[in-house]
Amino acid sequence: MNEIVERALDRPAGKPAPERAALRARLAVWGQRLLVLAPGIALIAFWQWASGRIIKELYVSKPTAVVERLYELFASGEIYPHLWITGQELVFGYLIGVGAGIVGGYALGRSPRLSAIFEPYVMAFYGIPKIALAPLFIIWFGIGMWSKVALAAIMVFFLVFYNVYSGVKSVDRELVNLAKVMGANERQLTTHVYLPAASPYVVLGMRMAIPYSVIGVIVGEFTSSMQGLGLFIHEASATYDPAGVFAGITILLAFVITANFLAGRLERRLLRWRTPMGAAPTDI
Amino acid sequence: MRDSVLAFDDIRQDFPVPGRSTAMRVLDGISFEVRAGKFTAVIGPSGCGKSTLLQMAAGLLAPTAGAVRHRGRKVEGVNREVGFVPQQAQLFPWKTLAENIELPLLLRGVAADERRERVAQAIRSVALDGFGNHYPNQLSGGMQKRGSIARTLVYRPDVILMDEPFGALDAQTRMVMQSDLQTLSAEVGATVVFVTHDITEAILLADDVVVLSQRPSRMLAHIPIDLPRPRDMFEPFRNPRFDAAYETVWAAFSAQVAGARRPH
Ligand SMILES: Nc1ncnc2c1ncn2[C@@H]1O[C@H](COP(=O)(O)OP(=O)(O)O)[C@@H](O)[C@H]1O
Ligand SMILES: [Mg+2]
Repeated sequence: MNEIVERALDRPAGKPAPERAALRARLAVWGQRLLVLAPGIALIAFWQWASGRIIKELYVSKPTAVVERLYELFASGEIYPHLWITGQELVFGYLIGVGAGIVGGYALGRSPRLSAIFEPYVMAFYGIPKIALAPLFIIWFGIGMWSKVALAAIMVFFLVFYNVYSGVKSVDRELVNLAKVMGANERQLTTHVYLPAASPYVVLGMRMAIPYSVIGVIVGEFTSSMQGLGLFIHEASATYDPAGVFAGITILLAFVITANFLAGRLERRLLRWRTPMGAAPTDI
Repeated sequence: MRDSVLAFDDIRQDFPVPGRSTAMRVLDGISFEVRAGKFTAVIGPSGCGKSTLLQMAAGLLAPTAGAVRHRGRKVEGVNREVGFVPQQAQLFPWKTLAENIELPLLLRGVAADERRERVAQAIRSVALDGFGNHYPNQLSGGMQKRGSIARTLVYRPDVILMDEPFGALDAQTRMVMQSDLQTLSAEVGATVVFVTHDITEAILLADDVVVLSQRPSRMLAHIPIDLPRPRDMFEPFRNPRFDAAYETVWAAFSAQVAGARRPH
């Protein structure tokens, strides 16, 4: 039983599995992972081959040049100030957006009165492309970090808000009533019923919001900035330096992959109860 | 009556119907009392307002007219003196079985040591030892149902309200559950209101059977069942007195069911 649980959770098993079946399952998982990597490797190989043969290197650079460029950027330390700024913008924008989204979505989801008043507004704002706000935010928050934080935060906010809002609204009334009869007060209803019931939606919103925070930050930096990866990419493309552009994109990719990985961990932790861990016994 | 725990007093309930100006009358003057330590079954055709009555007893719905009194006090707002076992087990899916059973104790501020003890005992009483750390989606329907019952028994509510709890179970599991429920409620001397549409189940479990009519629902009969306990849930027809009781309840029930025939 325990093994089934651990495997289903995709955790590295604490104890060495004595069975062959477990080993085989582990190998299958790794095989699957290699399979996932294969298209990426093929693409990079094709890129390397095609560059200079089919397409001019000036347009697309090539993987080895990108790697070289990345090495230079890190060795010389040139990239660090950009990384530091963009990293902060991403983290602040994401956290503010997620926090506000959870609080706002939860409040409106719980209160029919508030939602009756504010829902139309939120839905209207939800529809407008937030990217269009970039120039405005530069005017409001200045050319520095905070205009990008604001842009990322507002993009993240709407996604998280909408998910949490629908999550809280879809909580089973009967479960709420049961908890009330059992003696739950409002605060206990929140912690024992509403939040856990909404947690799949919260996690989904948080996952979907990751690329949006990156878009918000990079678009903000493209629009106007003094430092950051977006600016770096922008300048690289302005000076016909495709290796620099791809180096910047690679770093962004690393950001997103790391964030996705962390979100996946969080998801597995929060939603342990949702994964069917081993089959249910068939009878009473 | 001194030994009455729960009293339904001339209950009427109208529900608005979308798209119509006149409300639909669901319950029309229902009055009966639930005796302390006794098992009261409420039977009636589907849609006659049985669940609605339980909602009122739990204080989740205020009747259009009339009142529910719990030990003489009018029920207004959520009634925390009752326990509710719904049709679906409705264990909280994000909590393990043990956490589910612990929840009412936690909400009521019972100390951790006592909680652990009472949860362990409740799990044992419904024969779910060893499943405490399972999440509901790892348990079979019957096990979830047992968990749901344990979660209610664990805080020893003054009255237990059960809404067709065994309706969704297969026949065999249902008989086992009925038998276990009889034992469990006798052990703790629980007062139970049990909603069902199954006459056999009502007679087997109950000390009193309240028969409701079709909508708008009136009370057709209030029949005491004085079969000796413990009753055999598996072969009730071996007892001639069961047949007699069935006859009485069916007579009241069939009076309203148009065109209905006795099924055997
Ligand atoms: N909150 C409600 N609003 C409107 N109609 C309701 C509501 N609750 C129940 N009803 C109606 O009242 C009737 C009785 O419902 P219910 O008590 O669930 O019946 P039963 O449990 O006996 O099958 C049904 O026709 C149902 O549609
Ligand atoms: Mg019902």
